[in-house]
Amino acid sequence: MRKTIVLLLGALIIIFSYLTIVSATKAFRSSSELPASLSEMEDSIRLVLITQELDTPFWNKVGQGAKQQAKLENVELEVWGSYGNNEDDFLKKMEIAIHSKVDGIIVQGLDTDEFKELTKIKAAFYGIPVITVANDVPVEESLRKTYVGSDQFGAGKMVAYELIKEMGTSGEVIVLRDEVQAYYQKERLAGIQDVLENYPEIDIIIRGTEDTNEQVISTTQQLMNDAPRATAFIAINANYAGPMIQEIGRRTQVEPYHIYTFDDGVESTTLLEQGKLDGILEQKPEQMGQESVKWLMEWISGETVPLNSGGYLTETKMLVSDGDKP
Amino acid sequence: MTTIQRKIWLLVSVMLLIMGIIWMTLTYYNQQTQEQTNSILQRYLRLNEVTIASQKMITDLNNYLLDPTEIHKVQIEKSIKTIEEVQQDVVKLRNEENAFSVTNYIHLIDSLVETANRSILFSEEQELEGSTNEFNEANRISMYISEMTLTILERELKTYNLFYREIIDQSEELKKLGIWILLLVTAVLLLATYWFSLSITKPVHQLTKAANELAHGRFNQKIKVESNDEIAFLAQTFDTMRININDLILEIQQKAQLEHELQQSKLLLKESQLKSLQSQINPHFLFNTLNTLSKKAYLDGAEETSDLLVSVAGLLRYNLKRIDRPVTLYEEVLVLYQYMEIQRARFADRLHFEANIDESCLHVNIPGLTLQPIIENAVIHAIEPEEDGGTISVRISRDGSWIIMEIEDSGKGISQENIELLLSGHLDTNVGHSTGIGFQNVVKRLQLFYGVENLVSIESEEGIGTKVIIQIPETREEVNDETINRG
Repeated sequence: MRKTIVLLLGALIIIFSYLTIVSATKAFRSSSELPASLSEMEDSIRLVLITQELDTPFWNKVGQGAKQQAKLENVELEVWGSYGNNEDDFLKKMEIAIHSKVDGIIVQGLDTDEFKELTKIKAAFYGIPVITVANDVPVEESLRKTYVGSDQFGAGKMVAYELIKEMGTSGEVIVLRDEVQAYYQKERLAGIQDVLENYPEIDIIIRGTEDTNEQVISTTQQLMNDAPRATAFIAINANYAGPMIQEIGRRTQVEPYHIYTFDDGVESTTLLEQGKLDGILEQKPEQMGQESVKWLMEWISGETVPLNSGGYLTETKMLVSDGDKP
Repeated sequence: MTTIQRKIWLLVSVMLLIMGIIWMTLTYYNQQTQEQTNSILQRYLRLNEVTIASQKMITDLNNYLLDPTEIHKVQIEKSIKTIEEVQQDVVKLRNEENAFSVTNYIHLIDSLVETANRSILFSEEQELEGSTNEFNEANRISMYISEMTLTILERELKTYNLFYREIIDQSEELKKLGIWILLLVTAVLLLATYWFSLSITKPVHQLTKAANELAHGRFNQKIKVESNDEIAFLAQTFDTMRININDLILEIQQKAQLEHELQQSKLLLKESQLKSLQSQINPHFLFNTLNTLSKKAYLDGAEETSDLLVSVAGLLRYNLKRIDRPVTLYEEVLVLYQYMEIQRARFADRLHFEANIDESCLHVNIPGLTLQPIIENAVIHAIEPEEDGGTISVRISRDGSWIIMEIEDSGKGISQENIELLLSGHLDTNVGHSTGIGFQNVVKRLQLFYGVENLVSIESEEGIGTKVIIQIPETREEVNDETINRG
């Protein structure tokens, strides 16, 4: 009897001790570290990269490159922007960045008056340097410090040369552009025209469109009706390549057409891999990101003042489909 | 010595201490968690304050622009001051995670204040368009501030998400811990109480058992209690008491033994006294008659008869007097001779008496009528039945501190069986004795007198004779002497 009681109590004590210890270790284990608070105002340099097209492969790469470089330079950088070319949102972000008195803004150039006013007046008022990246806005209109990105005029030329190489020196070429052209589109178009003008047997049909899928499709339809003998398409705005090809594919075979665009579209790479595109102009988005931060920092630290207002150009290269082309 | 009281105190205070420690730990921990939660809540409240302050400032600014009076001016200045104060608080919220956005936020507030000031300035200079523009911008910035507050709050929630979950988990776990600790302490307390009560009751049980033993009269078992408190002390005292009682009982038993022996000797005395009283008239009458006869015989010239009668008379007198008093061996031997004188007159040539006596032994004390009854036995058994008579020899000698008296006869002897019966007192032989004192009486009186047993031994061989050997110490112990005298 006596032994039973002692054994029972002993067993209970062991069980309860175990449970208590298990419980205690869980309850008292050090809680995860809270972020250390920064009491003193040690302001590191804050940069913002603002784009209209967040979460597209092209701009993701630009963002990655910029972040890498920011880490290297030991400055803080955030990528802001709007989704799907929401201009109002984009401009609001710009304004917030300016009012937040960041140390530098890297921005995808937008060829509108509001944008220009922001950069020219507000940013200048607060003394914030603005660098355009990938898409340029002329310095006279934006007072940007510099431009980092591809030589869009050269890029247009490259596409044109590739077209001639594939198509030959005669034929009808349809060029699809935005109704309201951004500066970079103008440059690209200028590049293309610059080359194709030398070939009198090549007809260029240039048509602008609104930036909705339905509009792009209907414009494509019209173009194909108007110029049924066209053998080549160039989408200056890379985002239009997708709906355009979709429409072509609905009416006839895609393969016989020579279709070219640029790599800053959402679907560009995919379409090229599928063989629907004959070639895209490949830019170096990561390099753009890196260099934009680098140059901005050089300006802020005063190493290179002023920056080359003509811009710092990154490489471009033609990427041709290795699909079932003859 | 740990007393029971101290044991209780110890148990209770240890338990209180444990409970206290647990309580303190839990309270302290709870407080810490609460502080953390508070600081987080405060962050949110501060951020919210910014939004409220900025909105209020816009309202005040609007009021001022519409109606630029002194009161509104004071109000707008006050709200600008408030927002600047709030801004100072927000600076403290910066941490590694949100440094960028909070810095932006702070600058945004700066911009708001600057814009508002510009608006006021324009208003004072009556530039309506400028002030309206600035007001619109301030309004926009205020909106951005509200939005950013939400963004930062969202980010805070994300940052602290894990932390919050941990706090919730930990508080859950803390509840469980409380229950387990309660159960554990209960079990420990039960065990401790059990052992503790055992340490008190076990000695009590042992003591009870010992008391029972004593109650049943078993006094020789030692009382042992394994403990070191009051009970042990009690047990020790109890044990001492047991030893004392045991000693007392032994003493009483010894006394009772003595009492018994005394009683016996008294009885023997009474018996002989009674016998002598019975024959009191006879002896005196006989004694006088014998003396008269002796004189008559002497006058008649029968000298031999006269001497014989004197011997008879002496023997008679000795017999009357000496039964309850020690006499010297000398007197005893004298009576022995007188008795033999009488017997020789009776048996004439048939009785041969030899005495070999060491004179140096005759001073010792001896109970009266020790030798005579034995000689008488010898005469009755060895001379009377034999036609040719026999020899009786008496020898008294010394052997160290012992006096040896041997009475030997040449009778038929006694069987070994009878010897044992005689010595153990189961065979009564005092029938037909002249003094009324038999062999048994002699043996017992010697025993009582000297306090030593086996003083008398008998050697016998059938057809050859019997030898009775009495050995007595030369000096006897005083105590025994006293005892005998008192009786």
